[in-house]
Amino acid sequence: MPTTVAQTVGVPRPRTRHIAHGFGSGVRVVAIVVALAWSLAPVYWMLATSFKTELEAAELRPTIWPHAPTLENYRALWNGSLPFVSFFLNSAATSVVTAIFAVMIATPAAYALSRARFRLRRPIGYAILIVRMLPLVVLLAPLYLLLLHAQLLDTRAGLVVGFTTFGLPFAVWMIKSFIDAVPIEVEEAARIDGYPRWQILVKVVAPLMLPGLVTTAAFVFMEAWNNLIFPLALVTTLEKQTLPAALVLTFSGQFKTDWGGMMAAATVTTVPLMIAFFAVQRSMVRGLTSGAIAGA
Amino acid sequence: MAAISLRDIEKRYDDVVALANCNLDIADREFIVLVGPSGSGKTTLLRIIAGLEQASAGDVYFGDACVNDIDVGDRDIAMVFQNYGLYPHMSVYDNMAFGLRRRKMVAADIDRQVRSTAKMLNIEALLDRRPRQLSGGQRQRVALGRAIVRNPAVFLLDEPLSNLDAHLRVQMRAEILKVHRAVSATAVYVTHDQVEALTMGDRIAVMNDGRIHQVGTPDELYDAPVDRFVASFIGTPTMGFVLCRVNRSVDSVELVADCAHVRLTAAQSAAAQKRTGDDRVILGVRPESLLLMSESDAQQCDVMLRGAVEAVEMLGAEQLVHVVASDGSFSARVPRDRSVTIDEHVWFGTATRDVYLFDEDTGLALRA
Repeated sequence: MPTTVAQTVGVPRPRTRHIAHGFGSGVRVVAIVVALAWSLAPVYWMLATSFKTELEAAELRPTIWPHAPTLENYRALWNGSLPFVSFFLNSAATSVVTAIFAVMIATPAAYALSRARFRLRRPIGYAILIVRMLPLVVLLAPLYLLLLHAQLLDTRAGLVVGFTTFGLPFAVWMIKSFIDAVPIEVEEAARIDGYPRWQILVKVVAPLMLPGLVTTAAFVFMEAWNNLIFPLALVTTLEKQTLPAALVLTFSGQFKTDWGGMMAAATVTTVPLMIAFFAVQRSMVRGLTSGAIAGA
Repeated sequence: MAAISLRDIEKRYDDVVALANCNLDIADREFIVLVGPSGSGKTTLLRIIAGLEQASAGDVYFGDACVNDIDVGDRDIAMVFQNYGLYPHMSVYDNMAFGLRRRKMVAADIDRQVRSTAKMLNIEALLDRRPRQLSGGQRQRVALGRAIVRNPAVFLLDEPLSNLDAHLRVQMRAEILKVHRAVSATAVYVTHDQVEALTMGDRIAVMNDGRIHQVGTPDELYDAPVDRFVASFIGTPTMGFVLCRVNRSVDSVELVADCAHVRLTAAQSAAAQKRTGDDRVILGVRPESLLLMSESDAQQCDVMLRGAVEAVEMLGAEQLVHVVASDGSFSARVPRDRSVTIDEHVWFGTATRDVYLFDEDTGLALRA
């Protein structure tokens, strides 16, 4: 008897749950589609416009998709009058070097902040973050003066210095959170095995947080790549300019804006960012959250 | 080859005293166990021996040499950690070879040493695996292997079995002792489990609140605890304690409580007399020495305890009866065939030589 009761009661239950589930997921799908459309719309517009002819791109009633798709805009980037390849290489070189630099400097600092016990550990940790709290613009004038005296204005090296200044604090804290997650016993075992600290860092700790180092490097890379204000202010020669700054400086003229060309250049600018992001997005989310908890 | 001496070791963290006045002499090749409840300072003491932590005061000697200022890596020690501390990114082989490579050994010698150690521990088949591909017991073996492969003079183990299930733990105890005999190193073993301590240690140091209470063989600790803490910590089920008044008459001394009556031997009387200030002592009695008997038989015994049953625990071969009285509580092992019910009034008897006396204030054992 009890089983039949349970069965009769039990039968409709999954159905209601199924309906509720279906309704919930319907709402969810709509919400996701809206959010996706909202955030991807500009990206789509960038892509679509980059394949339009000059005429179509400038039409007063814009077309939703390119009616006569063309690669002319992309071809013009390489063959046109602008040193677009230089822009790309400038961006790539400064961003990559900044990423490597920042990780190399940040790792020992983060190791000390994570493992060493000294009185000013916490204040120093927060002091490093202060740079991060200032708006970029505030750093600009002092940085300009520093680079001026160091004779690094209008050089790629100067840009790397600027990017690193801003990327380093974040790198230190992010890497610190990865080091915090390495069990201390593993390091103590290496100490007992006779290894000095710096070798433990290189041979034991670094390999264990390699995904963290790559993620941090990617993050710094993306920030440097995206930075618009530093190159605009610190670099004066057009050939030495990075992509974002070059986009602003070259494609919008006083009398005419080359929308198609600008969007093609923007697309090319975006691709390395996309690659960097998707390569590390999983561990980046983990690194950011673990950093949030450890730093709290 | 290393005897270890700890001289007046003290460890303070700001105002907290973690270790005070710790003195311990460990003979070469001895297997000594540091045992105590959590927070007793046993792991801190082990880490000071290792050099992973600095003592606030006091000296550590290996043989005749003071090693206070000698770095961890140069002390010729090996350590097994509670959570193993294996290098996750290295194979089992590399985990074991890592320390040898630092010592600039020839590759062929490293290989020979790693393989012979692996053979001894039965982990030859695992040499290519990563730690995360191993079970808890296998990781434990690898941790042991990594420790002994270097042939250290001192072998330190920090609760190495606490992450294993009960069955594996018993098996690994024997394994560790076998390894210890094979490597002829001085071993210091930390555990909170007194059964582990009793079964493994040549000698045991019982610790509590940052102090070493007693150092001795398992027999000494069980038979002659120096104070109430050691008496209660060593032995399961734990010793029962009853607060008694001392009744002196012309020819004898008796201990009296609501739930106990004891006629002391001449020697015990003398010991109890040392406490002339007041007339109270604490009576200690182990569950295994109490015999359940009728009231009339119990009255005949030199030691009689009685009370209402608070709880009965079934242990398989026998049952454990807990009695709580106004001036103390104790438990007794009772055969299965005697049925005991809650709240039943029961009598126990035993011989005078099986009871312990402790000072009420200091907790120290009162002995003749």
